[in-house]
Amino acid sequence: MYKLLLCVRYLQTRYLAFICIVSVMLGVATLIVVNAVMSGFSTKLKDRLHGVLSDIIIDTDRMDGFDIPDANGKSLTPDQIIQKIKDSPAGPKIAAITPTIEVFAILQFTFRGQMLTKPVRLIGIDPEGRASVGGFSEYLVRQNGSKSPSFELTPEALKQHEHNRGERSKISALEVPNVPMPKALVPDPNAIPEPDIEAMTKDMPKAKLHGVIPGFTLAHFRYRNAEGVVVEEAALKPGDDVTIFTVGGAQGEGMRMRPVWGSFLVTDYLKTEMSEYDQSFVYVPLEQLQQLRTMEGRCTAFQIKLKNYEQDKVAVADALRDIFDPRTGSRVATWEEHQGSLLAAIEVEKSILNLLLFMIVGVAGFSILAIFTMIVSEKYRDIGILKSLGASNHGVMSIFVGYGLLLGTVGCVAGTVLGLWITDNINGIEMFLTKVTGKAVFPRDVYYFKDIPTNIETISVVMVNVGAVGIATLFSLLPAWRAARLHPVRALRFE
Amino acid sequence: MLTAENLHKAYRRQAVRVPVLNGLDLEVKTGEFLSIVGASGSGKSTLLHLLGTLDAPDSGRIFLDGKRIDNLPNRDRDALRNRVFGYIFQFYHLLPELTTLDNVLMPAYIGHSVLGWMKSRSKLRARAMELLTKVGMGHRIKHRPRELSGGELQRAAVARALLMNPRVLLADEPTGNLDAATGDEIVRLLRDLNRDDGVTIVMVTHNLDIVTATDRVVRMVGGVVTDDTMAKKPSFHSPLLAAV
Repeated sequence: MYKLLLCVRYLQTRYLAFICIVSVMLGVATLIVVNAVMSGFSTKLKDRLHGVLSDIIIDTDRMDGFDIPDANGKSLTPDQIIQKIKDSPAGPKIAAITPTIEVFAILQFTFRGQMLTKPVRLIGIDPEGRASVGGFSEYLVRQNGSKSPSFELTPEALKQHEHNRGERSKISALEVPNVPMPKALVPDPNAIPEPDIEAMTKDMPKAKLHGVIPGFTLAHFRYRNAEGVVVEEAALKPGDDVTIFTVGGAQGEGMRMRPVWGSFLVTDYLKTEMSEYDQSFVYVPLEQLQQLRTMEGRCTAFQIKLKNYEQDKVAVADALRDIFDPRTGSRVATWEEHQGSLLAAIEVEKSILNLLLFMIVGVAGFSILAIFTMIVSEKYRDIGILKSLGASNHGVMSIFVGYGLLLGTVGCVAGTVLGLWITDNINGIEMFLTKVTGKAVFPRDVYYFKDIPTNIETISVVMVNVGAVGIATLFSLLPAWRAARLHPVRALRFE
Repeated sequence: MLTAENLHKAYRRQAVRVPVLNGLDLEVKTGEFLSIVGASGSGKSTLLHLLGTLDAPDSGRIFLDGKRIDNLPNRDRDALRNRVFGYIFQFYHLLPELTTLDNVLMPAYIGHSVLGWMKSRSKLRARAMELLTKVGMGHRIKHRPRELSGGELQRAAVARALLMNPRVLLADEPTGNLDAATGDEIVRLLRDLNRDDGVTIVMVTHNLDIVTATDRVVRMVGGVVTDDTMAKKPSFHSPLLAAV
């Protein structure tokens, strides 16, 4: 009984103990805030990493796409392969599947009279099929969330296209003076009459315009203006044309890689807020890319959406590996396996940061050790009195260990409340600090986030609290042990 | 009741062995009010600490009702200090964080678990209140030690020593820090307790005036008892006290 009474009384009367409480409180609050922000970043990053990837990705290293022979030794078409997948044990667990072609390429376009080239990842898709496996239409700027997105040009884009053509004609006219041929004074009856271009092309089919959806960052320049404000300027507007260079899908023995290119008109942008995707992904119609690369009826990847990802990912991946033999250069991977190294890096980063930050609580532990040593020295005589009244060594030790536990608990409760409050108001605090210091604490243009992402994990809060209370108790053990071993007569005579 | 046989005790001061008790023998009878006098360093307080199991002798034996207590395990010695012996110190030794009532209740807090305390709470509080009223402190129960005078502190300490109904009260210079009038009050209080409640009291003192109130006076010189006199009313001119 006396242990409890004295713990509480010491807590109420020893103001020195509040330093311990504040130390633990700050440590716990810092850990909770950092963990919440790290977890927020991690969750958001995972969402974005998963963003444009479907649940399961099957791809091949072959430039000419998958070569899965049927019973007659003839290569299966993408539709036949899809049917084969659907007929496999994995089939019932699959919600949607779509073929794609993924290949490196170079994008070329004109901006302010300059010819610019950028290396890109060219992806041929069936837009509706790609939307059905997720991670596509929700990131489109114009057709955001559309169930049936397309590469069709809007009237505005067509207008821009016509405008560009007109501008180019003017430039050509300036470069090559359009001087009419001098007419003969006397008409030559044998002269070939001038062709009537309009009449000649009247019944010819017009050239088909192919759409392209580049990444948002690829199509925009981001810079700070004179006022220091970040400005995004479109280098490629809808309707602007781009030229894409890539390699042909070499088929058959002895075929070598050969360059191919085609012109496309920008119809939309992909904005995932994931810089890797936004500055390198370029989507074109699958059929067009097949033609361009002369690999009709073939594809280099399949994107699969599962009905229940967490439950079926392993079983489906295993079943698909039976169809797509890794020895033929095919790979079957879940999106997590696909981004394995990056996800592992995030986890390692989080663990190391936690370890480092836990040292803050360790410092709080040392302050508890120092302050408790002082308190025990102050309480020498009290310890002697208690022993003279019959208190045991164990009882005296319990007072100080209990005191440490109580300080840790109070510090943890206060720290948890403070940490959760800061996490909840972190964007307001960030704005206030930015206003006061005049320097952006969280530069949004670096992270592509509107707000600082946070995610409070209950288990993490519990672990921080348990750890902090444990450290507070642990560091109170040594002074408590010293107090317990104190000889009562010496303690009573202490001045 | 309480017997010390051939007690030896020495302290070490910077590698020098300082003997304090040198083969001391003493017997305290049940219901007796014994005072121990002697010069500073004669070993009076050390003897009191040994008798009350607060310290252990280097050699020799201590018996309580014929049972040896100096070699008991810590747990039993703690229990003896809590239930059999009551201590009164020169500097009162009340805990500064607690009220007078809580200080008086401290032996009961120590002797009871939380559950045990809850069961006997009202009985123990009533006992503490009764003792505080008896020592004239019934109106000061909520005051902290820093708000009390020396006499009040010592009266509260007496109440605390009596809470668990100890069989032996060990008083180490209980009037040493008080003025004469207040010291007389405390001694009168102890005398009444001894007479009315039959509490055995062993009191160490320098104050020769107060030993007149005791049943027996023991004089210590050089760590041994040199005089043991049944003196109801010893004179200041008696050979025993003249040597103090």
